[in-house]
Parts: sequence; structure tokens; C-alpha cells
Amino acid sequence: MKTEHLLFWVAVGLYGLSACSYIFGLISKQDKLFSLGLYSALAGFIPHVLVIALRWMATGISPFITISESITFGMFSAVLIFLVFEFTNKKVRPLGVLVMPVAFVLMGWAGTLMKDAATQLAPALQSAWIWVHIIGAATGFGAVLTAAGIGLMYLLKEKNSGGIYGKLPDTQTLDNLAYRFVAGGFILYGLMIVSGAFWSNQVKGSYWAWDPVEVWSLISWLTYGIYLHLRITFGWRGKKLAWYSLIAMIAMIISYWGIPFTMETFHQGFRIEH
Amino acid sequence: MTEFSKIPRNSGNKSGGYPVFSSGNFIINTLRMIYNFLSSVKLALGLLIVILVCCIAGVTIYRDKRAWELIFSTFWFNGILVLLVVNVAFCFFGRIWGRKVTLISFGMILFHLSFVAMLGGIIYNSLFYFHGLIRLTEGETLPNEHPQSYDVLNRGRLFDQSRLKGETTLIRMHTKYKVDGEDKMVAYEIAVGEGRARKQGIVYITQHLDYRGFRYYADREGYSLLITLHDRHRRELYGAHIPLQSFKQKDDKYLYATGTKDGPAPLAFPQDPQKPLFDLLVTYLPTPLKERAGDAVFQVWQHTMVPEEGTGPFAEGKAEIGGMVKAGNYHLSAKEVRYWVAMSVRYDPGQPIVLASLWVGLGGMIITFIGRMKRGSA
Repeated sequence: MKTEHLLFWVAVGLYGLSACSYIFGLISKQDKLFSLGLYSALAGFIPHVLVIALRWMATGISPFITISESITFGMFSAVLIFLVFEFTNKKVRPLGVLVMPVAFVLMGWAGTLMKDAATQLAPALQSAWIWVHIIGAATGFGAVLTAAGIGLMYLLKEKNSGGIYGKLPDTQTLDNLAYRFVAGGFILYGLMIVSGAFWSNQVKGSYWAWDPVEVWSLISWLTYGIYLHLRITFGWRGKKLAWYSLIAMIAMIISYWGIPFTMETFHQGFRIEH
Repeated sequence: MTEFSKIPRNSGNKSGGYPVFSSGNFIINTLRMIYNFLSSVKLALGLLIVILVCCIAGVTIYRDKRAWELIFSTFWFNGILVLLVVNVAFCFFGRIWGRKVTLISFGMILFHLSFVAMLGGIIYNSLFYFHGLIRLTEGETLPNEHPQSYDVLNRGRLFDQSRLKGETTLIRMHTKYKVDGEDKMVAYEIAVGEGRARKQGIVYITQHLDYRGFRYYADREGYSLLITLHDRHRRELYGAHIPLQSFKQKDDKYLYATGTKDGPAPLAFPQDPQKPLFDLLVTYLPTPLKERAGDAVFQVWQHTMVPEEGTGPFAEGKAEIGGMVKAGNYHLSAKEVRYWVAMSVRYDPGQPIVLASLWVGLGGMIITFIGRMKRGSA
């Protein structure tokens, strides 16, 4: 087994341990299990970073192109945002109960799809816009995944009191936190769409062509645009938006990795037919 | 004086229980109704949801071409998009007008203004644009102003035809083209324009050539064979460059042959305006050992206007590039291999407005976000 594969599965294993710790911590209301979950997520993040670095160094090509690489990088951003948030704001300790199982499942799926690193980058992908586009997409996903996790915390806090729930911030704070992450994600999705439009314009001379992936990115953006509209204009707060962010999260996973990479689109790279 | 003049003015609905028709009020009320409709936040939300549902349908129930035909290219869907922008303008600017400008409201103004500017750019572009697909074989020159020079041609109602000046030449197609060590696979060396203003340059997938606002983009390419016709004494009678189609096979390899995008097919040879002698299907088998070399396979049928099923070719044969194959009283040769390329030619005067609006919109989002964070922490 290659070092790269070994490290990848170590990261998946540690994320699995983290996910289980968070879930059992929530069921048994054991605070210590959240600490185990957090530190195993941190431990898993190290081989996760190393896998990306090793693939990158092996060929010199940014490893964000295939579906497996795309998920790996998306989860890198999500876990990074989660860890930074957890170590800077220690009040939402059970947050990993949503973030880490998602990271574990998606990373496991990415592992089954993993191929050797590409030896050359398709000509259409040789553009500086790809960097802005990928970073916007991955960090946007990380932000809305965290928002969905906070939404879940809101719903749990609202139904339960005392114990681990007593240590969570009040519902209004959770609601505001989720809103901030959604607003951040909305901007990052905006960055993803704008850079994608410029990239498409560089290659095809048109910034928008209703390509399935373009439409999916618009769906992501509109989904959170509607969230912000409901909150700012219609005064929605709390429970309804917490549910909205959780349901939107499922749509985001399908939007990112469920459909675009299974269809013949611009994102599979240009084929020169001669 | 009629009975009407006895009715007191400005009586409203109190004149004997019956509403009084006033043309002035009617116009004002209608305008107010239209304004209220267009500036409704509920309409904005409703439109956002409708667009979201259409988008989901356009990538799940219907896909690709079907989605384009049924949703994204339709008048009603584009009407919804326009209505959303008009609604955004009414809804937002009607509320913000006259209020104190804060960091948040400034960001919101930029964000919503970008939508309006984007629509303006799209409308302007739709009137003046030019999109063409030009196909050239190496060495070929086509006049830019002739519609026949383009395989596909679309233009705005107000596009000025005199903007299309000069001609376009494909000098050569380069394979394995590299820029700073990066493999661009193919690049087209082209010349565009007229006289001294003629511009020469290289086009590849991430690099276009701009000539007076007309941008040339790489689209696709293929092989083109120079097929020559010879008499029984092998004297050359006729020749034509015949572009071949690329057909992807089940094993992911490509077959290069005459035909249409739907599959290999024979074509009349010699070509129009010459009188055809027979129908010819040519397949090219390139060799990986040498560029522009390999074999050509000829299949020759009696020339018929409507091809008959089950009729086999009366002559067939294989020869190296430059070699000859006998076809009845004649000989055929694939004398030379060249490349053909198709380039997308675009003139979009409204595009800079749209692209700039995207950044303005993003800037607006960021400013609003910063404003809200500041207010939150305060």
C-alpha cells in the first residue's frame, strides 16, 4: 500500500473515531467524548493535509481535479473551519456531531474513488481562475456545513436543557452564529460563481451557458440567498432557519459531488477530438 | 349640459353609493397597483423560489439540450429573470431611497445595483452581438463579411455588418504545443483582418485572439485529406480538401471518416460545382510514428441521389498517404493530410458590463457582510 493511501485511510479512520465519539457523546451526554472527538478530528486532519501535499508534490499538479480530489479538498476546508471554530469558540462543543460524520462518510467515499494523481492537467484547467473557483467552492461548503451543524445545535438546545445542552450558548447566539456562517458561505459561493464565469469566459468566450454545473452552483447560491432573504426581509429566526440550513446541506452535497461529476460537463475537462 | 355635469367632483365612493370613475384616479391607482406589485418582497421571494425550482428541474428531470429547449432558452423563463431584476430594482431602491447611507445599505445598494447593470449589459449585448463558428483548413482563407464563411451564425438585430472586415486565414495548426512547459495540446496559428491592420497570433484553449473587438476562440479540430482524382494514366484531374469527422468508438479510440456528426457517410465526388462521378467514403488511419502520415481507406459507390440500402461499393482499397487506389476507370489518392479547425468568433459589446457587474455584486456582498459583523459586535 502506498504511503499516500495509508495516510488517507488513517485520516478516514480518525474521522470515523471522531464521528462516533461525538454521536455517543451526545447520546450518553458525556462531555469527555466531545473532547475525544475534537482531538481525534485534529489528529485525522494531519494525515489529511499530508495526503494532499504528497499528491501535489508527486506531480506538481494541484490535486483538486477528480471527484475524489475534489471531495478531499472540500473536506479539508470543512474540517479546517470546524477546528478553527472549535478551538477559538469553545462553547459549541457538540458541533462535530454533524460535521465529523459528514467528513467521515464523504472521505470514505472519496477513498473508494481514489486514482493515481494525474500526470498532466487538461489544457482547459490551466487557468489561474481555477484557484479562486476551487477555494470559493470548498470554503463555501465548509461554512454552510458549519452553519448546518450550529442549526442542529439550535434544535437540540431548544428541546433539551441542562447537562451538555446547558453548556451550549443560548438559542439566539446559536441563531446568529449560523446566520454569520451562512452569510460567509453565500459570499464564498458568489466568489465561486464569479470566478467560474471568468474562467468559462477565458476558455469559451461566454460567461454563462446553463451548463449543468453552472446551474448547480446557481442552485447553491439561490438556496442560501433565499435563506438570507427569509431572515432579513421576512424576519425568520430560530427553528425554521435551523431546519432550512440542515435540509439545504443535503442539497449542497448532491449539488457538489452527486451530480456534476457524473455528467458530461465542462468540469470533466475538455477533450480535444482529433 | 348633460346629467354628468351635475355630479359633484371629488365625490369618491360616497356619491350615492356608486363609485365614480375618474380617469386621473384610475391611472394613479393602476400605476400604484403596478408599483406595489413590482416592489413586493413576496414577489421577489416567489420569483427566487420559481427560478430555484426551474433550475433543479433543468438538471434533474430534464437535462442538457432538453433542459435548454424546455426551460433555459424559453421566453417565459427569461421573462421571469427579467421580472426578478425589475422587482429587485423597485423593491430595493424604493425602500432605500432617501434613507441614510450606512456601510450595510451601501453594500446592499452595490449588490442590487449590480443585478440591474447586469440586465442592462445583457440587453445591450443581445442587440449588438455577433457569434459565428468559422471552419478552416490549414492554408485556407475566408472573407469575414460573408455569412457563408460560418457554419453557425447568430447576431443581434442592431449588429453592424460593416464591422466584419477583412478575412481570416488558418496558417497552421500546431500539435503538442507548449507554453512555459504547460501542454496546451493544440494551438491554431491564424491571421485576421485586412491590409496593414492584419493581425497574426496563436489561439489555444485558454488563449484567444482579439481583432477589433472580435474574439477568436479554439473550439474543435480534425483531419482534412486532400483527395485527388486521376485518369487511367494517373494524370491528376481534380482535387479537394475534404474535412473528416471524428467518431468516438466504444474502446474510446477515434475513427476519422467522411460523414456527418451522426456517423460515417459517403459524399459525392468530385464536389459541387463539378459533376459528381461517384459517392466516396474515405477513412483515415493515422500512424502514431509520424505526424500527418498513415493510410487512407477508400470505398466507392455509384453516384445516386438517394442511397440504396444493401448496395455495396463497386471499388475499395487502402493506400498510404500519397499512394493510389483504383476506382473503375479512375484512380483516387489521399495526397496530403492537413488539419481543419473550428473557431468560435464572438463580438459581445455588453459583456464587459456584465463581467464588471459580477465583481460589483460580490463587493456589495462583502461590504454588507462586514457592516453586519460590525453592527453585531457593537
